[in-house]
Amino acid sequence: MFLQGKLALVTGSGRGIGKAIALKLASQGADIIVNFFRHREAAEETAREIEALGVKAQVIRANVGNPAKIDEIFDTISSDFGYLDILINNAASGVGRSAMDVDIKAWDWTMDINAKAALLCAQHATKLMEGRGGKIVSISSLGSSLVLPTYAIVGISKAALIALTRYLAIELAPKNICVNAVAASAVETEALKFYIKEQLMPDTRQATPAGRMVTPEDVANAVAFLCSEEASMIRGQTIIVDGGTSIAPFTIPKETQ
Amino acid sequence: MTIEEQTKDIVAKIVHVDKNIITLGSTFKDMKADSLDIVQSLVAVEEAFDIEIPDEEAQKFQNFGDLVSYVENQTQKGKD
Repeated sequence: MFLQGKLALVTGSGRGIGKAIALKLASQGADIIVNFFRHREAAEETAREIEALGVKAQVIRANVGNPAKIDEIFDTISSDFGYLDILINNAASGVGRSAMDVDIKAWDWTMDINAKAALLCAQHATKLMEGRGGKIVSISSLGSSLVLPTYAIVGISKAALIALTRYLAIELAPKNICVNAVAASAVETEALKFYIKEQLMPDTRQATPAGRMVTPEDVANAVAFLCSEEASMIRGQTIIVDGGTSIAPFTIPKETQ
Repeated sequence: MTIEEQTKDIVAKIVHVDKNIITLGSTFKDMKADSLDIVQSLVAVEEAFDIEIPDEEAQKFQNFGDLVSYVENQTQKGKD
């Protein structure tokens, strides 16, 4: 239980990857702030599962794309706890369009939630980590370095997150705050099923060299490692969790072999 | 202004349609709204009335009238 007594904020942790991260950190003893925006029932279920692990869970509804709401999240953490040890920038949204079809509204919406929120949360979190150190991990995507169909604006925002991770890692190193990112390939979540169903991306689920899809738990395991003291000399890096997909693009799906 | 009129103003502004074409029977599809228009409309309505419209509820809305009814119920609850 290497996170005993620690407090973690996981943005967007009602469902999917965020939920898996919240549960993994909780399983290592961390109390969790569950932030959600659109799905209250899911967030409350996540909180119940966290509490069943014997740690505290607090649910905070906020659209992290709105800076005033980020202020509210940290005001609450500040008054209820007065400290924070771990920030996971996981909340994400996006609009499935090609770059040429991205308008100002779609750009702002996606960048505000996926990139700007990560900066603002890190600025707030750093104050609550003062004198105790901390860990910041942001969830990026392979779409930050590869071109995926209709993923332009999300990919751009996820690339911003990786650059932000490098700058924060160096600026916050003297405060003993470790800043890193995890970039996952397509992960088996509700969001992915939606993309495949709407034919916004091909179903390549069987083409992972490792022989199976990346799960939310695979991403959570990498995040938990980055939150451990064993990872304390890893700074400003992006760990790719993709079962080998990005370095072997010509893997033939198992079912057609 | 009634809740219906206020909601109509908010949605018309975000979806970029003339508010006079929105009726209680209108769907977002009728208004040619995309998924971002819909979520931004819901967020704007939430903020205007200080209520919460979770996706679990929003998915049940068949038309604009259902959204208005939900807002009316929620704002009434706040007063009780």
